[in-house]
Amino acid sequence: MTLQKDIEGNEKKYLHEFADFKGKRVLEIGCGEGRLTWQYANASSLTIGLDSDHDALRVASIDAPHDRKHKIHFACAEAEHLPFSKETFDIAVLAWSL
Amino acid sequence: MVHALSEIRRVLIPNGILIDLRPMLSRWEVEVASARETNVTGRVNDFEIGVADDTAANRSMAEAESNGWFVREREEFFPYVYSWDTPHEMEEWINEEWNDFIELDEEATHATRSAWALSDGDARAQLRMKMLIARWRKGE
Repeated sequence: MTLQKDIEGNEKKYLHEFADFKGKRVLEIGCGEGRLTWQYANASSLTIGLDSDHDALRVASIDAPHDRKHKIHFACAEAEHLPFSKETFDIAVLAWSL
Repeated sequence: MVHALSEIRRVLIPNGILIDLRPMLSRWEVEVASARETNVTGRVNDFEIGVADDTAANRSMAEAESNGWFVREREEFFPYVYSWDTPHEMEEWINEEWNDFIELDEEATHATRSAWALSDGDARAQLRMKMLIARWRKGE
């Protein structure tokens, strides 16, 4: 099966219109396999992707570009209990997850 | 959901940004598209449970706004297109992955198969989803 997603490239375009990720610390909730993460994480100073699906996170970690692994991290957690101190992030992204 | 929004607010810096990005059910259009033309062949049917999920998400954001946790700055909708080689692949995907919240009825299925069979060799079956993107600023 050949499935192509967002063939018009609108998601990336709108995401960058709505937020400036350059140099920002970003928390993505519902990152899954990291499909959306790769659309902006290169610009951020730090990106943490959260999901409750271990298998999806494993794929995301494997797919992470080697030269970006120092600033992109994935963790298994629920949005109701975020394992971070207060005022840690500049931007939070609810990725298809609200 | 509301508790999650409270948590997100907690971990955001003052004036931090929350981006809410998600599909919204709206009887998405089914298309057959080739390099030469795109034809709408029908619409999917939305199930009540999926519509209820969208409503619940909207209510959660409205509650967060009324609590002063977030202030809405901007909101837009845009199309997000899923594209498959054949109508059969699209039908399989909908039946296996999205059967909880949408369905492709017989009329749309037949129209899509027919249009694809009669179309150019590069024709694909597509689903044009409606996406919401909203930017919220952390409240005082």
